Amino acid sequence: MTTVKILGSGCANCRKLEAVAREAAASAGVEAEFVKVTDMKTIVDYGVLSTPGLVIDEKLVSSGRIPTQAEVKQWLAA
Amino acid sequence: MGTFLHLVNGGLGNLAAYLAAHVLLCLLPAFFIAGAMAALIPKASVTRWLGRKTSPRVSYPAAAAAGSLLAVCSCTIVPLFAGIYTKGAGLGPAITFLFFAPAGNVLALAYTGSILGPEFAAARLLLCLVFGIGIGLLMAILFRQDDATRDARTDALFAGEGSMEPAALGLLLALIAALVAGTLKLAVLSATLFSIELPLPFAQSWQSQLLEWVPFDAAKGEEGVTVQGSLLILLLVLIGAAAWQGLENITERANRWTWIALGLAAATLLFAALRLTPTAGGLELAVTGRVLAVAIALWAVLHFGRRLQVDRWQAWLWESWRFVKQVFPLLVVGVFVVGVVRQVIRPEWIESLAGTNDLLANAVAVLFGVFMYFPTLVEVPVARMFLDLGMHPGPLLAYLMADPELSLQSMLMVAAVIGRRKTAAYVALVALFSMSAGLLYGAWVDGAGIARTALLLTGFVAALAGAVAWVERRREGVPHPLHPRGEQR
Repeated sequence: MTTVKILGSGCANCRKLEAVAREAAASAGVEAEFVKVTDMKTIVDYGVLSTPGLVIDEKLVSSGRIPTQAEVKQWLAA
Repeated sequence: MGTFLHLVNGGLGNLAAYLAAHVLLCLLPAFFIAGAMAALIPKASVTRWLGRKTSPRVSYPAAAAAGSLLAVCSCTIVPLFAGIYTKGAGLGPAITFLFFAPAGNVLALAYTGSILGPEFAAARLLLCLVFGIGIGLLMAILFRQDDATRDARTDALFAGEGSMEPAALGLLLALIAALVAGTLKLAVLSATLFSIELPLPFAQSWQSQLLEWVPFDAAKGEEGVTVQGSLLILLLVLIGAAAWQGLENITERANRWTWIALGLAAATLLFAALRLTPTAGGLELAVTGRVLAVAIALWAVLHFGRRLQVDRWQAWLWESWRFVKQVFPLLVVGVFVVGVVRQVIRPEWIESLAGTNDLLANAVAVLFGVFMYFPTLVEVPVARMFLDLGMHPGPLLAYLMADPELSLQSMLMVAAVIGRRKTAAYVALVALFSMSAGLLYGAWVDGAGIARTALLLTGFVAALAGAVAWVERRREGVPHPLHPRGEQR
């Protein structure tokens, strides 16, 4: 089971990122648990200076932008 | 019922005049610039000056630069603020960053300049810069002990290096050139190169119809809508519709509507730079120097945009569109409400409360800014209304400085990161500094001259320094009754 964390305080980009990540997981057939992280101290602890951030299995894969579905699929497969 | 219709009409008229006059040449390029800043400026190029080991002489200006270049939206403001405070240069630069961001970013500056005039934009920028650094330093001194006890882990968050690729820099400069070319009031740009007469006999009757709907009265600050303005509003609606189809999924891929939306945006900027005058038999169309300048800038935008990698320009367009979606609906509602409210407010009220530049007027303006919460940028049309109703520019600037800094939302956010005690100190300092900024700017507008203004500013800074020194001495001499060992977080 993969854990996908969306880091961000609920801004428009965070919602968009969550949608992209959910679609990517669904189309790749990966079973994933989605967690929203809104606490700023935790977010900074991941080394993120600009939200939204995407964490897959405790590894930060992107921050400050919205990746494409293809990118998220690659990270999910890795 | 008649009153109600009158109010709605006031709101709609204000909205139409505003869309026609201000949105296009100022806000349209400004949204694209903000998008480019959010997507194309590598954060590490500024944040590496915000680490724990950086000297204050570098970190405070760098914090201000981060505020104006990186912090165009809350996605960056909140994490960067928390990061600078807990892992980087500390409380002082974090506060400077937080204070400067709402006033120093490109959207706020372009918008203030377009609606209130360039001198207001310059005053807002300069005073926010000076006072932002001042408040940051004061907070750092007041809470010095606390700063030393913060978590002292590694500096890795701020160690990254980054530089901007030439195409991205070129794109950013070209967009700024388009904004400047479209809004700057220069004789060269307003001069007519040549003009043609279009045989459109209905133009004049359409203009008188528009004036009937949206009255033009310079004394009351009403701007009216021209024939050209009505066409621009139509183009704006078309851009919005095309952008909804073309930019909503731009991070995945561009489609036909993307190019239609961008083409329409460019065409609109060019069209807005023309000058249309209804005449007896038709419509006179004058091609101005502005058209030429905007065309050159747009060509440069295209030239540099094509050199960017696909995911880079897609990210740029997405961020620009996101700003439009986030800010524009609030602005439309805000401008409408301002139009309604101004039918109700009597100029005498404003005149008696804040018509002169004194201490009371500035205090009232700051209080109003604290208790009224307006969404991003709506403070600017509100300020315009007060200016038209006879508010003195000094208190108006005090309001403009206090409102975005001290909204309830931002206070809660700050309190969550730095705690209530520091937030209270911050709020008090911002209120004090905003009032002083208003008094200073008001004195300058009233003709105090550079020397006297500088003297006042120096006096204010000296008084503050004295107060800080006094607090320091008290701290060293007598232990604080409540926190004998300094505040522990």
